Amino acid sequence: MWSQLLSTILKEEFLFSVIRITAPILFAALGAVIAGKAGVTNIGLEGIMMISALFGVLFSYWTQSWLVGVIGAMLVGVLLGLMMGFFALKLKTDIILAGIAVNMMGTGGTIFLLYMFTGMRGNTGALVSPNILIPTINIPLVQDIPILGSILSGHAILTYLAFLLVWLIWLLLYRTPLGLNIRAVGENANAASSVGVSVLKIKYIALALSGALAGFGGAFMSMYYSQGWNSGMVAGRGFIALAAQAMGRGEPVGAMFSSLLFGLAQALRTKVSGLQGVSSYLVSSIPYVVTILGLVIYAASTIKRVKKARAEHPEVKV
Amino acid sequence: MEQKQNDLVVQMKGITKVYPNGIAANQGVDFSVRRGEIHALMGENGAGKSTLMKMLFGLEQPTEGAIFVNGEKVALHSPTAAIAHGIGMVHQHFMLVPSLTVAENIVLGMVPKKSGMFIDFKKATELTKEFAARFNLAVNPDAKVADIPVGMKQKVEILKALIRGAKILILDEPTAVLTTQETAELFRELVHLKEQGYTIIFISHKLNEIKQITDRLTIMRGGKSMGIYETASISEQEISRLMVGRDVILGVQKDTAAPTDVVLKVRNLEYTNEWNKKMLSGVSFDVRKGEILGIAGVEGNGQRELVDMLFDLREPDSGTATVNGKDVIHASQARIRAMGVSLVPEDRMTYGIADSATIEENLISDRFEEKRFNLGPLFNMKAIRAESDRLIQDYTVLCKSRKQKVKMLSGGNIQKVVVAREFSSDPTLIIADQPTRGIDVGATEFIRKKLVDLSRAGTAVLLVSADLNEVMELSDSLIVLYGGKIAAYFEDTSQLDDVMMGEYMLGLKRQSDEEIGRVCHER
Amino acid sequence: MKDKRMFGFELVRGAAAILVALGVGTIFIFLSSDEPFTALRYLLIGPLVSLRGGIASFNTQGLYTILAAMIPTIFTGLAVCVMFSSNQFNLAGEGVALTGGFVAALCGIYLQMNSGLHAVVCILIAAAVGGVIMLIPALLKVKLGASEMVTSLMLNYVCMYVVLHYLNFVFADRSKGSTQTFPFAETARIGALVPGGSKLSWGFIAALAFVVIVAAFMYRTRWGYAIRMIGINQAFSKYSGMKVGGTIVLSQVIGGALSAIGGSVEVLGRYSTFLWKELPGYGWTGITIAILAKNNPLMVPLAAFFIAYLEKGCQLMATYCDVPSEMIDIIQAAIFLFFAAEQFLAGYRQKIVVKNTRADLAKVSASAQGGAE
Repeated sequence: MWSQLLSTILKEEFLFSVIRITAPILFAALGAVIAGKAGVTNIGLEGIMMISALFGVLFSYWTQSWLVGVIGAMLVGVLLGLMMGFFALKLKTDIILAGIAVNMMGTGGTIFLLYMFTGMRGNTGALVSPNILIPTINIPLVQDIPILGSILSGHAILTYLAFLLVWLIWLLLYRTPLGLNIRAVGENANAASSVGVSVLKIKYIALALSGALAGFGGAFMSMYYSQGWNSGMVAGRGFIALAAQAMGRGEPVGAMFSSLLFGLAQALRTKVSGLQGVSSYLVSSIPYVVTILGLVIYAASTIKRVKKARAEHPEVKV
Repeated sequence: MEQKQNDLVVQMKGITKVYPNGIAANQGVDFSVRRGEIHALMGENGAGKSTLMKMLFGLEQPTEGAIFVNGEKVALHSPTAAIAHGIGMVHQHFMLVPSLTVAENIVLGMVPKKSGMFIDFKKATELTKEFAARFNLAVNPDAKVADIPVGMKQKVEILKALIRGAKILILDEPTAVLTTQETAELFRELVHLKEQGYTIIFISHKLNEIKQITDRLTIMRGGKSMGIYETASISEQEISRLMVGRDVILGVQKDTAAPTDVVLKVRNLEYTNEWNKKMLSGVSFDVRKGEILGIAGVEGNGQRELVDMLFDLREPDSGTATVNGKDVIHASQARIRAMGVSLVPEDRMTYGIADSATIEENLISDRFEEKRFNLGPLFNMKAIRAESDRLIQDYTVLCKSRKQKVKMLSGGNIQKVVVAREFSSDPTLIIADQPTRGIDVGATEFIRKKLVDLSRAGTAVLLVSADLNEVMELSDSLIVLYGGKIAAYFEDTSQLDDVMMGEYMLGLKRQSDEEIGRVCHER
Repeated sequence: MKDKRMFGFELVRGAAAILVALGVGTIFIFLSSDEPFTALRYLLIGPLVSLRGGIASFNTQGLYTILAAMIPTIFTGLAVCVMFSSNQFNLAGEGVALTGGFVAALCGIYLQMNSGLHAVVCILIAAAVGGVIMLIPALLKVKLGASEMVTSLMLNYVCMYVVLHYLNFVFADRSKGSTQTFPFAETARIGALVPGGSKLSWGFIAALAFVVIVAAFMYRTRWGYAIRMIGINQAFSKYSGMKVGGTIVLSQVIGGALSAIGGSVEVLGRYSTFLWKELPGYGWTGITIAILAKNNPLMVPLAAFFIAYLEKGCQLMATYCDVPSEMIDIIQAAIFLFFAAEQFLAGYRQKIVVKNTRADLAKVSASAQGGAE
């Protein structure tokens, strides 16, 4: 059994699938990173992914254009992020509760909306045709490299975007005025507001960006990964993304590595559950168990540093 | 000259501020500042100075009243609006982002750009250097704020305001965290700014500083203005009378202490904070049964760290502290309380109370597990009610009922709730950290009297207070903390005067180790 | 006087939040339905009033259905009240309710005991298991500072897959077409409270009893007091000498036990075998209920009734009109957002505060003058 497993894992398709599975988690994890840098916990990523996944399919079906679908999904994500911002920042709903509300809309509200728009129940099977799915691309030159080529080339455009965004988000956070403002607001909101940086505005922007990223993740799920929308498709990826952000110390690159870890766990799950004598259900729990373990390791490694910093600066969030 | 007299750069008229929790921090305050002067805003903690300045800087909006800048009525809805009117503020707690560099902090909110979207770090550094040179405020642009000393942090704050075009600078207790040299340096810089035509509002309650550098001063007390005066024509005694009021100064009558056994024994405490600043070194003293030992000192000289360590909020690098022979350094708060230690915390809203709980619930937080308040698994509500009613009465907490939420009370009554709990647990040692800060005269007097009564009844009291009057009048003997070290020990406080105290507090003088060593009554 | 005015304000605010949420629901009904007025009628009065031949009559069976639906959510609502009171955003009620139901079912199948005792033992074992599961996020939080929110979210999925594994591969009744366990022993079932085949079991009485017990625990015992104080101000509680870590763990263990009891009472009272194949949703509903009840256990039945009523109304709309029952999630989300919004109508609150303070100041200065004369 183990040798069988080993031989599947060492194949190129396996590593290819790790990258593919990582992409949606990475989108959402980057969303969590941006929100986190601005001092906001966006627990609504899960619901945003669900809702924008649905709208991705709907927009692409209506316009018969995958690109409009992706952009539409992203914009829906932005709107949901702004809505969370409105309730959390303006009406002072606890941000966690605002996120839970978005998740509620994600579970039941999507089914309702789907029916409202199309009369369908539970999934969008009939709406999806290959021409409205996100296309894959082969990278010239890279695709010809042996082994590496078949791992890195041939992914969906959005997969490449996800990894490109790691760099772009880093650039945004550390090289642009907006990023400086986001980090300042998250670390010491009073400092930012005392120099005229609007804390509200920055948090709105961070939530909108966070929503946009989750929106990409949703589009990826429904318009590529599952080839259609169904009610159980996101399956906790938004929550896993939060864990990835925490484990990645809130940094884009760190979040990428922890997302890859969860991608690996999930890819492993599909491989292992195909093996004889292994319970598919127990294997399905692997990514979630890995997440908990990852959090434990991360927490254990930081607890001392955080404790000391808190004692010194109770006013600054660590 | 006449012209200049009327050249009021800032005018605040009839300002009233009621916070959402119902506290009226300012009541009909009039305030004005002339162009190019250094104007002191004085008053005890809680007198309403900070609130008034927060409104001038757009951080809070007045409930009533009008603000004029350069003769023009303005609405300051945000700091941005205030900055646009040329008002800058240096807060008491620095508004800096520790993980960013000095230059990044300075340009935050007005970042120079290159290629249209990226931060021009080079230009930010240059800008910082240029302004630092022009105003003679030396800073290191590339250092992380987390790593620089306090004095430099303050310069960064001043630069932040100047670079934004501030012509009116509000400094909120700028010297509270500075060393003597740093203070002297700051004053030189402020005078330099004044000479260049800048207006400075200087919040402080240190008489010597005010006398030294200000032109005029406004005194506040209890949320009201006590008037505007020319610094040169008002005596320190007069200022102090206006600030604190005579009744409080002569308020406390007490018998001579008759201290007996040592209760709290502190030996060689050392503490280095996260930024590697040595906050305490070689601190040793004893507090005996039946005496009040005061700790005087300018804030930021290690008092907070010391109290935190005695109550398990921080760990010292080394050293010991025992209460009746039992270690308190490594004990949990529960264990420390079991030894009979009570603490009136400096930050009462964080440590002293649960604000949305009732008065009753706040009064029993240290004793709710005692047998007398429990019947099997259930609370003995009758006993709890009786206890809280008794405490509310004994400590004259003004409230509608014991079921009222604590956050609905005034500051003085909130502190009375804290004190009622901490003083009534039959403590062997009370640590009172700024016990009357920011509360009304009546409550202040009441709490001071209670402290004296308790000590005369045999409790050991460690009183930490930045209020010189308080610490000198209440303490039987007194130590002065300066730069994390004990600078002086006075066995008898009755012969002390503030001039001498000031010299020790400001580090101009230090007693010999032998003299200081006398505070350890047990070897 | 002052407090009364504030209390009245809070009532109005809550009612307004619910109205806004229903308004949002109405908009969606008008958007999606061809017969919006019929749909609205089913949503608002359908659960308790049946219209036959134009005559309105009180629908007793409808009431029983609503009360029956409240059984699990009262328990999960109480669980969330206890956990949120200590300011712990533990969201694992879902997974624990599922696991609790499953454990109770297994005990009902494989243990042999007297009638009456059997059900109680099943539920107690489920409660113990629920408490133990919640130890995971609780201990990770207290010992390592790991966010209980994230770990508890992950735990939901772990619980689900582990239960599904045992249901499918170990305890399945292979003779049945669908995946389910063997039937419980008759002794383990919770009897019906009213005759006539409704699902309203004695579990409802148990739920109400637990409302009283949990309320007493929270407001009349030292542990409940510590939980509440820690939730309001943890630094204060630690400074007062409370065992903060232990109490945080305790609140989550109790939350786990209550969630598991909810799941088990539902399983033993409503079904004859265990057949859940996904997370039951009671955990999330419990959160809505706790928010509506403002973490006050005594208000939980009222909030649970309200949600069950809406849920029933949504089901009726789905059955008799063209509005999907998932409408409930949109209404719940809206209630959630507005009800928990501190600043919703806050302008009015500030006005009340200012007015009160003015009155107080006037009183003080009047008495001061009176004293001077």
